[in-house]
Amino acid sequence: MSSASHPLQPSFSRPSARVAIRRAESYDADLSALLFETLREFDLPVRGKTVFLKPNFVGLDPLGLINTHPVVVAAARESFLRLGAQRVLVGDGPALERDTEAVVESMGLREYLGDLAQTFVDLNVDDVHRVRLRTRASSLKALDLPQAVLTADFIVSMPKLKTHHWAGVTLSLKNMFGIVPGSCYGWPKNILHWAGINRALLDINSTVRPDFAIVDGVVGMEGNGPIQGTPKPCGVLVVGDDPVAVDATCARIMDLVPERIGYLKQAAILLGHLREEKIQQLGESVDTVRTPFAVLEAFRKLKRGKNGLALD
Amino acid sequence: MDAVVKLAPGEEAPRGENRPQSSWLERFCFPFLFQTQNPDGGWGHRAGACSAVEPTCWALLALAGAPRSGEQEAALGRGLSWLCSQQLPDGSWPAFPGQAQGCWVTSLACLALHVLAPPTAGLGWSPACAGKPDALARGLGWLSRSWPGEGGLWWRLREKLLPNQNIVRQNSALRGWSWTPGTSSWVEPTSYALIALRKIPAELHPRGVAKRRRLGEAMLYDRMCPGGGWNCGNPRVYGVAGEPAVGATAWALLALQDYSEQAENQRSLDWLERSYAAIHGPGSLVLASLCLETYARSVPPLSVALERLYDANQFLQNVAVVAWAAIALSPARAALQWTLAARG
Repeated sequence: MSSASHPLQPSFSRPSARVAIRRAESYDADLSALLFETLREFDLPVRGKTVFLKPNFVGLDPLGLINTHPVVVAAARESFLRLGAQRVLVGDGPALERDTEAVVESMGLREYLGDLAQTFVDLNVDDVHRVRLRTRASSLKALDLPQAVLTADFIVSMPKLKTHHWAGVTLSLKNMFGIVPGSCYGWPKNILHWAGINRALLDINSTVRPDFAIVDGVVGMEGNGPIQGTPKPCGVLVVGDDPVAVDATCARIMDLVPERIGYLKQAAILLGHLREEKIQQLGESVDTVRTPFAVLEAFRKLKRGKNGLALD
Repeated sequence: MDAVVKLAPGEEAPRGENRPQSSWLERFCFPFLFQTQNPDGGWGHRAGACSAVEPTCWALLALAGAPRSGEQEAALGRGLSWLCSQQLPDGSWPAFPGQAQGCWVTSLACLALHVLAPPTAGLGWSPACAGKPDALARGLGWLSRSWPGEGGLWWRLREKLLPNQNIVRQNSALRGWSWTPGTSSWVEPTSYALIALRKIPAELHPRGVAKRRRLGEAMLYDRMCPGGGWNCGNPRVYGVAGEPAVGATAWALLALQDYSEQAENQRSLDWLERSYAAIHGPGSLVLASLCLETYARSVPPLSVALERLYDANQFLQNVAVVAWAAIALSPARAALQWTLAARG
């Protein structure tokens, strides 16, 4: 299992994270070349391995506004194959829509990935294996999780840059909710809400920590995300080898204060780096691509004030 | 994912606008379901996957409508035996073998047992379930005792004292059924429970089921989206109206088919009818078609559209979707329809 290579490690003893911000103004850009060149800089251990790409396919998306864009998914798949991966699978378990085929067809995924019966895994109905969670932040203790994820050598979380009406933002850590199978826990995976979203997030990511993250920030979503928000062009791809650092960087790009995002602050204890000085920034700087995202009133406290400090 | 079942050359899917619906059904759906049965008797969610309760229930319900020889009868018997063997001591069924806690699939298991193993020599008895004579009764008992987590005294007190935290507007006193024990009521598990309880004769119900059914029906109406139709069960979040979804709408309407003339049903049917042409997935298409037919609304021929969708992704090898298709296209639809027959 992928997370076996990720001992839970306090931040002070963890090496610096690397996060790259690349400009990508539209989905018509050559994202395959951009991603391939970027991933090459990370010297990722994927040769001969099975790579699992976990995009965020939350619901029907004929306009390409709420899910990770298929162009980005296809670019990542092609890049990992070029880097020597033996197999690259794509999979998600939509939280609100049982008809996964309708979801992927609505966004035209087949045009980009080919035969979905061979390249795509519906994590909601995959075979499952009982996994004891490695932390006890929530009351969950154990979850049945999909074999396709548990047997992958290298897991890549691929969210879209969005606000979220329960969690504040949904990025590479929150995206991992999608591995929890609906066949066991339903649509939505309500057991995670009852366990506390922030706490459940920590337990899931400590157990199946993504090895890498690629965030589709070409067009994000602000306001009442993750479904009913407003499209927000941001023109970036954010990638990195530490999901906490990637999410913190994304929050800064959105002009939010990552230290005020509950689960991200907690995740920084054992799962990755939140502090800017522990993140080696590649490509663009946060300041050059910063794009303030509107948030719901309930998350106003996440906004960065004019002086760079959090609003009270 | 590797075990993609494709039909043999002699079993190619029918093509052309004028093929009868039975052709697709008999040449594709039933063979697919018989071929994908696991040696242990159950069905997995996909061809080649481990047996699980939900796809086994749908496959059994679908094959109830199949013409059967001795071999196929035996296959159904193995399926029922597997299903009975998975029941937990408290009467519930888990989603997968080995799980210690039962869940929403219990409604489907009860429905499948009722349809395929009617109480010929005692409640819930059939040769396939020998040794488990009370399987159905125990399943119904669990369903009647399985309350969702919301709506209790503490919950309602919190709603009253902290109104600003009520992001989702709903009447929590109207309790249906949850996906997993102790969590909230949602549209689909409530619909499954209501359908099972409506199909299974009331004289087999434990005490208190009538009240639970009334609450569940009221809960569904409470969770309807403002413009008609249902999503998973959040009609309004942060004051914003939720978008309905085809699957949830179809299940809710099937569960509420006794109230076909009610304005909410008609408004939801209108939404479903308007949405029909834009449906992208075979599962949604089958459910929408079955639902519209149940309410005597006209629908285009289903098998032609399914054939086209099968060519695209082979339904992602999803056993439940093939089973739903078989149910919709065969007499097995009686498991989910009752008012159409009553109307004649």
